[in-house]
Amino acid sequence: MSRPGFVLEVDDRTPPLVVHEGLGFRLEDFPPGTRVIYPPESLPAIDDVDAAIREALLNPVDADPLPTKLFAGMRLTIAFDDISLPLPPMRAPDIRQRIIEAVLTMAADAGVDDVKIIAANALHRRMTPAELKQIVGERVFRSFHPQGDLYNHDAEDRDDLLHIGMTDKGEDVEINRRAAESDLLVYVNVNLVAMDGGHKSVPIGLASYKSLRQHHNPATMVASHSFMDHTKSHLHHSAWRMGRLLKDHLDIFQIETTLNNDVFGAPYDFLLKREWEWSVRDQASMLAVRRGLGAAPRRLRHKLFHDLRSPYGLTGINAGDTEAVHERTIAMVHRQQLTEVQGQTDVLVMGVPYLGPYNVNSSMNPILATCMGLGYYFNSYRGQPVVRRGGAVILYHPLDEGFNQLHHPSYVDFYEEILAESTDPAVIAEKYEQQFATDPWYVHLYRTSHAYHGVHPFYMWYWAAHAMDHVEEVIWVGADRRVAQRLGFRAASTLSDALEMASGAVGTSPTISYLHNPPHLIADVR
Amino acid sequence: MMLALQMYRSLPRHLAGRAVGDRLPGILSGYAAPLRLVTIEEPTVERPGWARLRTRLSGVCGSDLGALSGRTSRYFSGLVSMPFVPGHEVVADLLDDCEDLAAGTRVVIDPVLACAARGVEPCEACDDGLTNRCSRVTVGHLSPGLQTGFCADTGGGWGETLTAHRSQLHPVPEGLSDEQAILVEPIACAVHTALRARVEDNARVLVSGAGSVGLLTTMALRSLTPAGEITVVAKYAHQRELALQLGATEVVSPDEVLRRLRRSTGAFAVLPEHSAPYLLGGVDIAVDAVGSKGSLETALNTTRAGGRVVLSGMPAAADLSAAWFRELQVIGSYSSARREPGDRSAFDIATELVTGDVVAQLAKGVASYPLHRWREALDHAHGAGRLGSIKVAFDPSRKG
Amino acid sequence: MRKWAQEGLEDVRRVADGWRWGRRSQVPRSAEPFVPARQSTVFHTDWARTRAAQVAREVAQKGALEPLFRSQVRTSVEGLDVLAGLEGPVIFAANHASHLDTPLILLSLPTRWRRRTAVAAAADYFFDTWWRAVGSSIVFNTFPIERRGGTMATTPGEVLADGWSLVIFPEGTRSPDGFVGRFQFGAAYLATQHQVPVIPIAHRGTFAAMPRGQGWPSPGRRRLTVRFGEPLRPGSDESPREFAPRIRDAVAALLDEDRSTWWEARRRAADGATHDPAGPDTAQWRRVWEQTATVPAPEAGPRRAWPD
Repeated sequence: MSRPGFVLEVDDRTPPLVVHEGLGFRLEDFPPGTRVIYPPESLPAIDDVDAAIREALLNPVDADPLPTKLFAGMRLTIAFDDISLPLPPMRAPDIRQRIIEAVLTMAADAGVDDVKIIAANALHRRMTPAELKQIVGERVFRSFHPQGDLYNHDAEDRDDLLHIGMTDKGEDVEINRRAAESDLLVYVNVNLVAMDGGHKSVPIGLASYKSLRQHHNPATMVASHSFMDHTKSHLHHSAWRMGRLLKDHLDIFQIETTLNNDVFGAPYDFLLKREWEWSVRDQASMLAVRRGLGAAPRRLRHKLFHDLRSPYGLTGINAGDTEAVHERTIAMVHRQQLTEVQGQTDVLVMGVPYLGPYNVNSSMNPILATCMGLGYYFNSYRGQPVVRRGGAVILYHPLDEGFNQLHHPSYVDFYEEILAESTDPAVIAEKYEQQFATDPWYVHLYRTSHAYHGVHPFYMWYWAAHAMDHVEEVIWVGADRRVAQRLGFRAASTLSDALEMASGAVGTSPTISYLHNPPHLIADVR
Repeated sequence: MMLALQMYRSLPRHLAGRAVGDRLPGILSGYAAPLRLVTIEEPTVERPGWARLRTRLSGVCGSDLGALSGRTSRYFSGLVSMPFVPGHEVVADLLDDCEDLAAGTRVVIDPVLACAARGVEPCEACDDGLTNRCSRVTVGHLSPGLQTGFCADTGGGWGETLTAHRSQLHPVPEGLSDEQAILVEPIACAVHTALRARVEDNARVLVSGAGSVGLLTTMALRSLTPAGEITVVAKYAHQRELALQLGATEVVSPDEVLRRLRRSTGAFAVLPEHSAPYLLGGVDIAVDAVGSKGSLETALNTTRAGGRVVLSGMPAAADLSAAWFRELQVIGSYSSARREPGDRSAFDIATELVTGDVVAQLAKGVASYPLHRWREALDHAHGAGRLGSIKVAFDPSRKG
Repeated sequence: MRKWAQEGLEDVRRVADGWRWGRRSQVPRSAEPFVPARQSTVFHTDWARTRAAQVAREVAQKGALEPLFRSQVRTSVEGLDVLAGLEGPVIFAANHASHLDTPLILLSLPTRWRRRTAVAAAADYFFDTWWRAVGSSIVFNTFPIERRGGTMATTPGEVLADGWSLVIFPEGTRSPDGFVGRFQFGAAYLATQHQVPVIPIAHRGTFAAMPRGQGWPSPGRRRLTVRFGEPLRPGSDESPREFAPRIRDAVAALLDEDRSTWWEARRRAADGATHDPAGPDTAQWRRVWEQTATVPAPEAGPRRAWPD
């Protein structure tokens, strides 16, 4: 039986609480009265996953059973979510592997020969063969990858993009040509958080830069309140318009899955428990892990964390028509992640963990950390932000991981060159976005190496823009002061220092909320 | 008799300096420096055209430090005569009348000991006014020595008195402080470098290094050439400020330089195995104003094909693959000439440039030491960039 | 390295503080509504029946428990001959008046039996904290049972099946006044289920020596008596509900016998006139008064040379 999420009010009986900060975590004593928002406990998982997959494929929502759509001589394309989901990566077998295997089994039975499997990585970096294999499994990989039938989508490959048309708002819809010209496009999704899935899958995951920039721009992204609520996100509205247009041109069979909150396996499972319920064993593991991390050099800590694989359980799988499926998916995501919160507070505290969508097997550079805190987590609300307008956000992260030159070459330049000049998203967009987006070197690295697209750091910054606009003060606890300064923020060494620094904006006795995250949660602020 | 610092031959010290000088600069100002404070006979004047000078201020140059640490190529060992009193950046007062200059005149000297000073028939280069290219620096009535401060007979600025030939003397205009005047020689070199670079209109230039050579070269490039963007590589914050004031378009740190130039020139980067990354494409002209392997390779690796790399510092051995593969023009720039393009002497141009506001401000950063505190002075000179001094100089008249 | 160790110490200190080491952990007030209904703590006691634990127990019982016990009370044990013809396992069912009951019974058993006997103990009391659980498991070989029903880590059936005899107090709790309370069906259920004999045990004097609420036997080396009865074998189709009263009757008869003589007790039992072990329906103080009377020295047997 899993308990619902709830809001703890810190009192004298509350033990120190875990706050994640990069490649580690700390125990923090919050001032009495602090609200701590806990996600619901992990929902029970489906025992027979294969049966659930079969059931979903044979009895789809608002669509014909998958086998009836498969016939000899057809062009079948299977697209799947890339390595940015789920976080951390799933313990093998990945749910995408099991679904793709089920789809391929049906396709083989129907005599389909022309099958391509495409990672819908949009402007994300190309995945390495090993990473592809981890997601689709050895069997699929061996059958498709050597012939080049399993590959990463390329948003800059003019030959493999097809302009479908314009939405009624004049937005270009341009996606992967192979996918667009298929008789059937099966999209295999992992709906880790509420912003994923729905029409974000095909129209964004398989889009070209030209199509992406229609909604990935500061105007749209600052106005998306929030990304975690597709009914209120301008970005999602745009994607939905595109999806509806695409639907008229292309048969899309959407498969969406939801996972429970089993993010950490033993011996890190104490991180999933509510602290006051820690057993002696949990306390001992916590102490041991803290000491272990304290003794380990950063490279080793990085490896320890990035080698973590989560024992996620499947909580739901739905297939069929995109919108009908997504509605069910969102309901399940909300069941797992939604916690009701009464009213806003002056200060929002969040711990930025070691991993976000864009640094799997890579490093959490300062821009990604900002996006993780002010983009991903800050936007994890429904209704209104947890912190009031003009309040303060306190984030925990050392901001000391530096940049991965292989994965984030344009991030370094963004940080050194652009942030040195301005941190204002509008100014940055105006002056530099096109330069970075069209820089042939970045394009080259994106297409042939494993680099995020040149424009990607801009999206990270735009994403955080809503938060920067909303709050008065952003303070990083335990961060490198110079880095925080470059980002346009301030750094404090302890929570009390940070609160002191924030007092200019929120007074000396502010109300405080701490988002106890991960595992992921959405604050439903009433 | 006079007090002077003297460089002498000492193989152990030379080797020690060479072995560890890079890593432990402190050792140079300690045991390893083949330098000593001595009381010696004052140099005497025996020929017409020569005069004695009393040093007011004499700078410590990068090449001096190189010589003391044994990092200088053995190539130059044939061009000096031991033991000598170093110091080729000199402001001094004339002790004797010298042709048209009266005793007491304050002068700076052009250190090159060319045909005129050596009393030989002018060689081809001297005839053209390109005195720095003189081919007679080892002969004539002086001991070998490419410049004052490397010759056993003339003395140098790091002693109380020295001798110089009329052809070397440039009177200092009224109103210039000694600290400004001491910068005339380095500025003349920077002028020479800037003119050697033959900068085309709007050319993109990289200056690698923001010590005194780099900063003054930046100033010369901005003042004398039609350069477009000038990117300066600087390690320290105050250098950054100065570079911008002296005309740099942007200032980057050494670890950023390749990425920044790649971005701003739209070049492609190549990441070779076990070697430094480089650009295909890049700046039109790069100036190495440090003379280290790293700095020279930065210059070579970020210059576009067919571009120009100017060696302003005394160069270290470096990988020249880029020069071959990218067909770069590698241009040396040594000292300064009495007739630069435009038919003026580099010293004349430098004397004009030195009156600028920024140079006046720079001159305030000149740190002077008495001779007996030479270890401190050399130590300071080694850390000049970090310590925020543009130039370290000796003032032999100071006693404390 | 020093810094690392200091941080470690600091962490330990904070955890000890935050999680109230040595005291009860607390739930923040606002989290109280979300505390799940308390599940019985599943405490694994299998280790307590391993070879190593048996050795430790032998040392604890013979080396510490027995000398201590004998120094505080005197005992007389009757009826052990019933065990002579028996092979284990059996269920020892006794009345329950004091924490002295368990050591009294265990230390009365012949060594061969004592080493193969486990004690059923209330999970909510003895297995409430780890130190009490570990302590009682080592010294008394206890394993947890649920008084109120619920899940158990190790079922008594498994312990029986492994060849261990059990001590069960069918009353389920210590008597408040020394008289016998209602017998629950646990012992009867186990006996019928696993078809093992039940040996009734009656003892007197433990309430007088150390009643509920007292942490140490009263001074004066009180006399305790314990009497083992003939084994009762459940019929093959006898239900626990039928069997349980037989156990209680047997215990009652033994108590009667202990108070009077074997012959008188048998006669009364035959007449169905055995004193109800639940005691007279009188005021509470009289019940306690009666139970705290000193148990007289046994009259039967050879005269003692030196009265004690």
